[in-house]
Order: sequence, then C-alpha cells, then structure tokens
Amino acid sequence: MFAAEKLITVPFDVYRYDPTRGGEPRYQHYELRLAPHTPILSGLLRIRDELDPTLTLRYSCRSAICGSCAMLVNSKSRLACHTPVGPEVAEHGRIVVDPMRNQPVLRDLVVDQKPFWTRYEQMDPHLIPDPLRPMPEGRPTQMTPAQVDRFKETPRCIACASCYSACPAVEADPEFPGPMALAKLYRFVVDPRDGAHKARLQKIQTSGLWLCLRCHLCTEACPKDVRPSERIRDLKELAVRAQGGTEPGSRHAIGFMKNIEEAGTLNELKLVRQTSGLSGMVAAAGQGIRLARKKPELLKGPKTIEGIAEVRKLYAALEKDEEVPL
Amino acid sequence: MLHHDIVVVGAGLAGQRAALAAARAGHDVAVVSKLHPLRSHSGAAQGGINAAIGAEDSVDTHIFDTVKGSDYLGDQDAIEFFCQQAGPTVIEMEHFGTIFSRGDDGSLARRAFGGAGFPRTIYAADRTGLALLQGIFEHLSTETIRIYDEWFLLSIVVREGRVQGITAFDRKSGQIEGIVAKAVIVATGPAGRIYGRTTNAHSCTGDGIAAAYRAGANLKDMEFVQFHPTALLESSILITEGARGEGGIMKNALGERFMTRYAPHVLDLASRDVVSRAIVTEVKSGRGFPGGYVTLELMHLGKEKIESRLQEICDFSRAFAGVDPVTEPIPVFPAQHYMMGGIGTNMQGETNVPGLYAAGEAACVSIHGANRLGGNSLLETLVFGKQAGVAAAAYVSGAPESRLAPTDLERETGHFLALRARTEGESPRVLRTELQQTMDQSVGIYRDPDDLYRALRKVRELQERNRNVHVVDPATTYNLDLTDALEVGHLLDLAEVIVVGAIARTESRGAHTRVDFPARDDKNWMKHTIARWTSGGPELSYAPVAYTRWDPTERVY
Repeated sequence: MFAAEKLITVPFDVYRYDPTRGGEPRYQHYELRLAPHTPILSGLLRIRDELDPTLTLRYSCRSAICGSCAMLVNSKSRLACHTPVGPEVAEHGRIVVDPMRNQPVLRDLVVDQKPFWTRYEQMDPHLIPDPLRPMPEGRPTQMTPAQVDRFKETPRCIACASCYSACPAVEADPEFPGPMALAKLYRFVVDPRDGAHKARLQKIQTSGLWLCLRCHLCTEACPKDVRPSERIRDLKELAVRAQGGTEPGSRHAIGFMKNIEEAGTLNELKLVRQTSGLSGMVAAAGQGIRLARKKPELLKGPKTIEGIAEVRKLYAALEKDEEVPL
Repeated sequence: MLHHDIVVVGAGLAGQRAALAAARAGHDVAVVSKLHPLRSHSGAAQGGINAAIGAEDSVDTHIFDTVKGSDYLGDQDAIEFFCQQAGPTVIEMEHFGTIFSRGDDGSLARRAFGGAGFPRTIYAADRTGLALLQGIFEHLSTETIRIYDEWFLLSIVVREGRVQGITAFDRKSGQIEGIVAKAVIVATGPAGRIYGRTTNAHSCTGDGIAAAYRAGANLKDMEFVQFHPTALLESSILITEGARGEGGIMKNALGERFMTRYAPHVLDLASRDVVSRAIVTEVKSGRGFPGGYVTLELMHLGKEKIESRLQEICDFSRAFAGVDPVTEPIPVFPAQHYMMGGIGTNMQGETNVPGLYAAGEAACVSIHGANRLGGNSLLETLVFGKQAGVAAAAYVSGAPESRLAPTDLERETGHFLALRARTEGESPRVLRTELQQTMDQSVGIYRDPDDLYRALRKVRELQERNRNVHVVDPATTYNLDLTDALEVGHLLDLAEVIVVGAIARTESRGAHTRVDFPARDDKNWMKHTIARWTSGGPELSYAPVAYTRWDPTERVY
C-alpha cells in the first residue's frame, strides 16, 4: 500500500486552446503539492477546483474503464486517471499535458473523436450471424475456453483512442483504419458466432490492413494491454491463410516467407516479382538496373545458405504446430 | 427544433436497450447523452449479471433471494417478472455478441455473489458491464437511431398533462435545441456524486432524475442508498463482490474473519447492507486498521485465478492503491455505490406523467426494495430498458402530436440563460464539495436523527446559495464550468429528497439504518416512499408494496 508519502511539487504545463475564440495555442503553467501516487487526472481536477475552472478535458469514471481521459502526458498517449504524477516528475521534472494526436482539438484537451469513430464504424463492428448456422434457440452458444482465448485481450478495449493517437500510419494515411478499429475487427473475425469472417478478411486485406508500419507504438500506448499491433499481425496471418496473396502487402509477406524457405535468405529480384508481378517489375526496372550496376550479384540471386535443412525443418514444425483458428 | 417520435435520455445499458426496443417497433428514435454511449457508467460494472439458468438453480430461488435481499420492500410481482426474464435476457445478449467468460464445458461461467442462494452470476471476467455495453452498442448499430452524443439535458417539457419533448444543448457548440417527442425515456443512471466517497463516475449526477422530478414525476424510495462494502481506500474505486464470490475473504486488524459475527452462514457473501454495516462496526469498535479500514485477501486464490478472473481489479489495486492483490491484502472500506430509489415506474417503465418513462438505475420499479443484490442491476437495465422501450413505442402509436413552441424554449431555458448572464456568485465546485462532505458525514450507513436534521439544514442552505451559482467560464465550447453548475443543482435537489425520506422513515430496513429505530417495522413501514416536487421541497406520501407469495421474515445470512 502507498505509505504516507511526502508531498512533492508538481509543475503542470497544460495545452490551452479554444479555436472558436481565436488566439494561438499556448501552455499554461500550474503548480500543485501532491502525493507521488496521485493520478494526473486528480491533479487536473484539482486545478479546475482550486486554480482554474476553465481548464477543459474529458473525464468520467476515474478508474480506467470509460476511456474518456486519454491525453498526451510528456508526449506519450496515456489515460490521465491511470498515470501517477510521481514517476513523470522524477523523469521529466514536470508534466506537460497535450491533447491526443490525430484528432482535431475542440478545446484544450478535448479532441474531436469523429474520425476515430468513423474508422471504427467502417469495420462493421457488430456480429453478422451466419444464416446457415442460426444461434441456438433459447440457449446460449457453446464456446470452448480455447475459442474464448482467441479473442485474446480485445474485450478489454475501452475505445480510449490512445492507440489511434500514437499511430503514425493514421497520421500518414487516411485509408488506414487505425489500431483500435483493426483490433475490433479481429475480435469479430475470430468470433465463432460471426458468419462473415471471410468477407471481413477479404475487405480489409485490400483496404488498409497492410498499411500498418509495425512500429508497435499502439501496443506501447494501450492502457488495457489489448496489444493492437499483435492483433493486426494476427489479422494479416488469418487473411493470408484464408485467401492467399490478393494485393502487394500480402504477396510481399508470402514472397518473403517462400524466399527464406527456398534459400534461407532473400532473393530481392524474385521478391519484386512476387510482390508486384511482372508489371511491377517493369515499373521498377529503372531502379533495378541502377541497383544491378552497383551490385551485379543481385542478378544472380543469392546462394542457398548452409543451414537450409534446419530452416526447412523449422518451417515444417511451424506448419504442423499452427492450427488455423477459423 | 428537432423532431423524433421517442427520445431516450442516457445511453448506458438501459437507454440503449430501450432505444433498441423502440426502434424495433418501427419508430423514429433518438438517444441523447452527455457522454459517448461507450463511456457510460454501465461499463464500470464489474462482477456479473444474475440469471438462474443452471440445471440445479431455479427462478424461484432467484426471486426469493431478491425479495429477501430487498428486505421485503421490493414489489414481488415485479421481482417475479424480472427473474423470469433473466435467462432470456442473458441469452439474448450472448446472441448479440457479448463475450462472456466460459466454463471448461463451453457453457456460460457462473460465480457466487452476495445474498444469493446459488452461484448464478454470469460474468465476463471482472468487466461484465463493459462486455454488455459493447454487446448492446454493437447490436444497436444495426438499427437506424440518431445518437446525440455529448448533449446535455436541460429539461423535460410537460404541457397539457403529457410530455412534449426535451430541451438540451450540444456540449461541443453550446447550442440549445428543443427536441419534440411524444415520449421521453429517462435512463441517465444514478446520482452517486451526491456523496464524496462513491464508486460512481464523476458523470453520475442524476440529471435525468432531477429533470423528471421537476417535470412532475414521482420519485420513489430515494432514502435507500447502497454502500458497497469493498471500495478501495482513498479513491473509493470499486472492488467487485466477485472478488469475494471467487473466494476472497475480509479480515480486521486482529486478523479475524469478522463476518463470522454478522453472517455466520454465508460470511463474506452476505447481502451488501449487512457486510457494509459489519465493516463500519468493526472499525468503530477499534478493530480496524489505523486510518479506519479492513482488508480483503485474495492471495490464497493464486496468481493465475486472480489475474484472469479479476484482471481489472488487480490492475486497479496496483495502480490506484499501490497494492498487489497476488501478494498483499487490499485495503477496503464501504463507499456509496447504488441508488435503490429513483423515478417511480411500474413494470412497463411508465411514470405518473403520460409519455414519460424511466429505466435502469434512474428508475425505481421497485425490484431492489431497500437493498439491491449484486448482479441484479445489470439485469435490471436490460429487462426494464426493453420494457420501457416497448411501452413507449405502444404509447406513441396512439398519442397526439407533441409540440414545442418558441415560448416553451424560452421558459424552459430561462434558468440556463440566467446562469450564463450572472457576473458573480458562488463556485459550483465549492457547493458540490460541501454537499459531498455533508452527505458522507451525516447520511451514511448508520443514520442518526440529529445528523439527518443537520444535513437537511445544510442541503437547504446550499440550495439557497445555489441560486447564486456563478459560471466563470464564458466559452461556448465544452464548458465544464457550466455543466458543473447545472449538475450541482441536480445533486442538491436529489440530496434533499434522500434526507427528507430518511428523516421520515423511522425504522431500519435494508440499507437504511436508523440508530434510534434499529428494527424493521413492517406494521408501519412496509411501504414505498413517494416524493413529489413542490417549490417548498419534496412532499412525501406512501404507496403499498406489491405482495405475492413471500411473507416478511427476519433476514439472517
């Protein structure tokens, strides 16, 4: 239990901006004396109570379950109610609070979440029952613990948008649905009650799934350990297993895998063809010729590595081990 | 002016279930909520939802447990209907896509809960509310329903003896709107923030209950306030009863399992009113830990069980109390948790005002009577949310057109505009803090008449001061200072009803424990308190308890 802690001085620099009233965004400085374990949200509410009632933020449950108070704390996406002041002050000397990224600021720390919800809605986030397998009349569906386990941690998602805020692919590409939406999609794809997982995978494979940069910043930001980047990886695997390569992203992954299985190393020339097809090779020809001048060995392709037998054994073992969870 | 057939205010489980039922009946339905629906406080419910679906369990046992838990103040006809609906309701939610925890055989897992004769609480780890909220929200997206999220209710308009619509404003723009509707369903949840030590979210300010009360709806049994036995010390964050259902035990500073003294048969799994009184008694008798608390031990359950079935509270304890439940006891003390009372309704969710319906914690049917059983509140939101939606749909099919005139808008929003125009006065947060301190100190688990009268004087003083409440923030966008001011008015109105009801009820029943009247008095008090708004404060009357099969007997656990 928290021992009777000495109060520390906590300097806050909080982003302030009201676009409807003009002016420029600025940081406002506040100082409080707080116990180190005090959540940042409690600090901000004390600022509202005692220093400045115009400071504006979203908050409700204060127990990390409603997802309202996600914001940037010293540049990282965090739930304010779930982040104590002490370690932040120890590491950064102060607490700089900004609104989440990738969502326009409505006022101070309150952002417009419409883009976030719109991308979520594009995932058809509801159960689509299979007309050929109706729900059992008058009783719950049977679901084994193993089937429940396939949801992984996705039911913990509180839609706080921390992941969305942390995601560089969201920033770069309006086509990318974002980590939360994809984790939600994954939850439906692995649901044994859902009848549309094939259609869901088909749709996502050509509409944004492969735009993930695999930086894992979403997983780092997620306060509920949903690990969205791992769910995106799972979706990619399920998509490829269900329908093979349908566009450059998945074909690249498959090509990569086949290259290693064949030679234990990459064949760059082949990979271009595997990813983009013949037309892709033609399109990339100029670049290829320039490269080949510098590294003529590329044209010959790589030598098969010595331990290839071991690599193939690994492939065989993995193939046997992995059950397709659909 | 906006137009819909039915407006549901509040987008938690009850509101969404009501909206679903009304939309399914073919009506134009809108949902107005001050939060995004997925941020509703329903999502904070942890332990589970009761349904007697096990082969060895029976609906009758569930009914009896609920009647007994209510300390014989629950309406038995409503409780019978409620428990009969439990199985179909849980199954429907499962079919909507809710992800429940499962047993090894693939069936819905069940755990023991307080006051229940059988382990009948179906759960999703310790985030059952979140699982259900996701389930209903996902399913609701298959219907065409207009959701006004982050809109704040100002008033329910009643003219010519029936509902004409509501007034509200968009928190994002500050724009006031009238929404014309033939029926309004209030599902705005509780007013737990009347208290400082509460498990409730900051948003639980009883806005819909207060608006309905002002619009002429009767409030019922408001003096019955549930204190959850195990809230985390300091933050009052909820530690689910499921923790005890999974085998957790409470101890005092002497290391005693003190519940042996208060509930020799079921110990830690007695009804919440019983357990909360036991904890307070232990601490008052000097057997609490320094600082005034007891502990909840889970260590003996083992790391795996704790971290899988009680994952969220494990995280809460670590983050909010600096305690790891795998290796240490959790410091707990009771905190305000639930309001048994609310807007008086019948089993169809109808209030005494034509066109006005209520459901969920904002309503009082009454099935919880003087004390709610754990696992019955999630069930209530869904069963009676649906009832209200169905009944409102039937009503609007035959009701005359509603109308809101510009004069209505002026009259209804006068209070709001005066508030915006005021240039000096009291801070709403100071008023709120003083109210919360008063209620914590004087209207808690054990109620002393002197304390209650002192609280009433204080609440009335605060109401007077609230006439001069001042909003410092001039902004139109997301003005929290403004919503603080509106909310504190709601809290004060409802606190007054709680205290007046508690003073009048000279007996002890369920969660209402009068130190000067320690016994239950069935002869004089087996009746519901009804409070009606007047300019001079609540006017009380009483209504009989519906009674079918179960004679009141002494409650022993």
